[in-house]
Amino acid sequence: MLEGKFPEGPLESKWERHKFDMSLVAPANRRKHSVIVVGTGLAGASAASTLGELGYNVKAFTILDSPRRSHSIAAQGGINAAKNYKNDGDSVYRLFYDTIKGGDYRSREANVHRLAEVSVDIIDQCAAQGVPFAREYGGTLSNRSFGGAQVSRTFYARGQTGQQLLLGAYGSLMRQVDRGQVELLTRREMLDLVLVDGAARGIITRDLVTGAIERHAADTVLLCTGGYGNIYFLSTNAGNSNVTAAWRCARRGAYMANPCYVQIHPTCIPQSDEFQSKLTLMSESLRNDGRVWVPKTAGDERSPQQIPEDERDYFLERKYPSFGNLVPRDVASRNAKSVCDEGRGVGSTGRAVYLDFSDAIDRLGANVIAERYGNLFQMYERISGDDVYVEKAMRIYPAVHYVMGGLWVDYNLMSNIPGLHVLGEANFSDHGANRLGASALMQGLADGYFIAPYTVPHYLANAKLEPVGTDHPAFEEAEKSVRERVDALLAVDGSKTVLEFHRDLGKIMWNKVGMSRNEQGLKEALSELRALRDEFWRDVKVAGEAADLNKNLEHALRVADYFEFGELLIRDALDRAESCGGHFREESQTEEGEAKRKDDIYAYVAAWEYKGTDQEPELHKEPLTFDFVEVKQRSYK
Amino acid sequence: MSAVVGFLASSIGRKVTMALSGLLMFLFLVTHLAANLLVLVDPEAYNEYSHALISNPLIYIAEAGLLALFVAHLISGIAVWRKGQTARSISYRDNRWAGGASHKSLASATMIVTGTFFIIFVPLHILWFKFGTYYDAGNGVRDLHRLVVEEFQDPLLVAFYVVGMAVLGFHLWHGIGSAFESLGVAHRPKVRQAGRMIAVVLAGGFMIIPLVIFFTGGGF
Amino acid sequence: METMTLKLRVWRQPSTATDGELVEYTASNVSPDMSFLELLDVVNDGLIKKGEDPVAFDSDCREGICGSCGMVISGVAHGPKSATTACQLFMRHFNDGDTVTVEPWRANAFPVVKDLVVDRSAFDRIQAAGGYVSVDAGGAVDANEMLIPKGDADAAMDAAACIGCGACVASCKNASASLFVGAKVTQLSLMPQGQPERDRRVLSMVEQMEAEGFGPCSNEGECEAVCPKEISVSHIQTLHREYIRASLRRITST
Repeated sequence: MLEGKFPEGPLESKWERHKFDMSLVAPANRRKHSVIVVGTGLAGASAASTLGELGYNVKAFTILDSPRRSHSIAAQGGINAAKNYKNDGDSVYRLFYDTIKGGDYRSREANVHRLAEVSVDIIDQCAAQGVPFAREYGGTLSNRSFGGAQVSRTFYARGQTGQQLLLGAYGSLMRQVDRGQVELLTRREMLDLVLVDGAARGIITRDLVTGAIERHAADTVLLCTGGYGNIYFLSTNAGNSNVTAAWRCARRGAYMANPCYVQIHPTCIPQSDEFQSKLTLMSESLRNDGRVWVPKTAGDERSPQQIPEDERDYFLERKYPSFGNLVPRDVASRNAKSVCDEGRGVGSTGRAVYLDFSDAIDRLGANVIAERYGNLFQMYERISGDDVYVEKAMRIYPAVHYVMGGLWVDYNLMSNIPGLHVLGEANFSDHGANRLGASALMQGLADGYFIAPYTVPHYLANAKLEPVGTDHPAFEEAEKSVRERVDALLAVDGSKTVLEFHRDLGKIMWNKVGMSRNEQGLKEALSELRALRDEFWRDVKVAGEAADLNKNLEHALRVADYFEFGELLIRDALDRAESCGGHFREESQTEEGEAKRKDDIYAYVAAWEYKGTDQEPELHKEPLTFDFVEVKQRSYK
Repeated sequence: MSAVVGFLASSIGRKVTMALSGLLMFLFLVTHLAANLLVLVDPEAYNEYSHALISNPLIYIAEAGLLALFVAHLISGIAVWRKGQTARSISYRDNRWAGGASHKSLASATMIVTGTFFIIFVPLHILWFKFGTYYDAGNGVRDLHRLVVEEFQDPLLVAFYVVGMAVLGFHLWHGIGSAFESLGVAHRPKVRQAGRMIAVVLAGGFMIIPLVIFFTGGGF
Repeated sequence: METMTLKLRVWRQPSTATDGELVEYTASNVSPDMSFLELLDVVNDGLIKKGEDPVAFDSDCREGICGSCGMVISGVAHGPKSATTACQLFMRHFNDGDTVTVEPWRANAFPVVKDLVVDRSAFDRIQAAGGYVSVDAGGAVDANEMLIPKGDADAAMDAAACIGCGACVASCKNASASLFVGAKVTQLSLMPQGQPERDRRVLSMVEQMEAEGFGPCSNEGECEAVCPKEISVSHIQTLHREYIRASLRRITST
């Protein structure tokens, strides 16, 4: 049985006590240790800079041309912290409790409490870096309530909180680069993990400019490579976000936990045509004043303002009278899907619902609405070409946004492979089956600034690490396998492009492993995915050469990994025959059609061990126990 | 000392040198215009004022100062231009002005050309007027008024001066506002607008003199 | 839906060391709802199928915040629509039959890596020279102990909105990075956190900017006009003020 290795003792003092119990590395010895950090988003940049500050020799890798472009930059809304600056009843315990509940009781109490504890330090740290958080006239920090939270604990910097936090972390990182403490390697993609004596001792990367396959050795590897939402092809993720680094670790034996937990965000701009390459999220705050509806009759093609009130179905208000349009993300998303499945969707594709502001405009005036949402209306107009002030409604549809699943880690953020630490969205640890709004930034920075800088040294102090050079046979073997894979992809020389395969894969995943899942659909998805994977290896056409800047080859390598990882995601969704958080199994719902958890069977973390292509992966269960929180079914009626 | 050199050699330092020398020369031009307009109103006063200037031994210091400003402006201007040129070796095949918030104009795009023009204009101007025929107005006062009136009977010279002042106005159209920006003065749009207006007034003022003299034959 | 046909003239350059040229492609069935980058995606898929090398260009978030994409479209950085990155430029702003030239950012400090991909690491090195507050994790005071007037925080945020795409450099006749540097310098000079390193920051960032080969500011303001985040050139004036101030202090203290 898998164990998270939590410290003993009361919840409130676990982390404090653990910090004391962990071993330290003396300042003079730190420079003797080398650390590889893969990914430079919030988690990676904060970890690399902090470990650099402490005196370790850090190598930081990014697939982009600069760390500042990492996808954390796109987070809009804010970052939670239990500061209770608003004196409205917030506390570390309440943030902990909300996160456990929001995660639908599928996360670990000890981890989540630690996250809530360090949340307050994050705000202090970021403010000290010069992050221009929104402020009140008195000069204090401003807060807002976010995602239906009962307290105002979200700190923000306009609609660009992720950008500002990332630029803060990036600044710290560049400061360590300037000091020579961090070596920054841009345009490098990690294509394999190197294990020596069972421990993570290095990585193989591809230089995305020259195509050179390179070896990098270190005492430990920190994987901060984000989530795998792009397996759905269309998502709010950036084009380069991918699963490859994580999946390559999984193939080397790291357990992949809860891959089926995918968060779908309800307020995105719908797809307009098949060429569309990404979906754009609009802040959830729109639901504070917008009313969601579709026409009562299928096939009603009139423009929204021509459809009279009594022919509209405000389905969220109808089904959830108390929460209305502010039901949680998963509930809002699933309901939008189901009305569109009934043929009542709107827009050219029929896969959208209206988010209507006429009432709010009548009640508050167009000026107030423009002040609140002007920038979002502008964004919508830019992308869709439609003016919300004229239409009084926007079309929205859910899109894949964030993944709660990821590589399994223990309390020290180390995977089952010694020396492989996993931070941020890439790990599975803190959000359970569903993440609260404004908590992703919090977790990335908690891991990087305040957790890994304690737990990584603890590992380094205790591990018996022999010096390993990149001439070690393990590097030889890993490099060879990477080269073979690259060559194999280029050798297929078929007729269908990588983009076409990715699109087809996305359709399978979205239609059958998306917002609503059932056993039959999942089984179909599994066989369709395998057939598509076989076709991919038979008929894909990858342009260009290995030794060149070749974005098509990069994409091909990633899509090839999605095919393998996708199978695991579907298996996990099949195994978990309950509905919880972002995972809705149609077989497990209440009479009213609401998600129904099965705590007696599924209160575990599903950690999957890769056993080879076409081999059944092995499921390791980490039981989830709740010693401090009473487990309840969610209800938003 | 190295801090001073470092500042002056930096591109911001060069811009500051260019801006300060340019603005000081501009201030000189304002007084120059004010004095020159006397040609049209009061020939005697004009001659007296000129006399006061040239008979003062400090004039050599002032002239040396002006020459220094001119050279400083020239050197810093060319240095800025060259640094800009070397920052982009391959030019765009299709290059358009962005419009919108941009203040780019034909004037701003041709500063090096309009500036270089004065390497020719200024020596000629000095040659024609400072070292032109010496007429005595009596009492040891030079009759510069007569020289001016005579010179501006030549249509070619008038045309040259009108064009020259147009070029000056063009240079200042971008130059005045730009100088304040280089010095870090805020409120860009207002400063820029004011600078453009002043440039037009100044160039127009200078242009009036040869034109009026030419068309009235000096008998105004 | 009505579709368009466009003629594209795209800069193709195999590597930094080789010469490039404009190559013509015809894009048909262009949907008005496509973004400019999606148009390039489609063109590329066609090239791949023909066995040709697709056009290399950087892009990531495709929602105008990461600053990865950048290309000169029809002679203007990020294309004809103001306050818009290339990824957010939709084809509805073009007409059937248009000829569109697509070139990389051109600046010696941004060498072309391949086709439309340029190396903007000069920006990272300028940041490394001082674009931060030197504070180690763990040593911060409570965030509310440092009061910052709302106006200052808002103005700092205006400057901090820069996405580092490099359009300012691309559009400036002198390939100047003044707007990029000015935005960072302004942000930190407005906040108390930035004060201790105020002089050192501006001096070393400007020094690095020069070393990278960026040109001097032209005071034309093309940078602001093409900036997808509409960063104001007033930040360049702030940069100059800060630099003059810091230089004078250095001069008088030595």
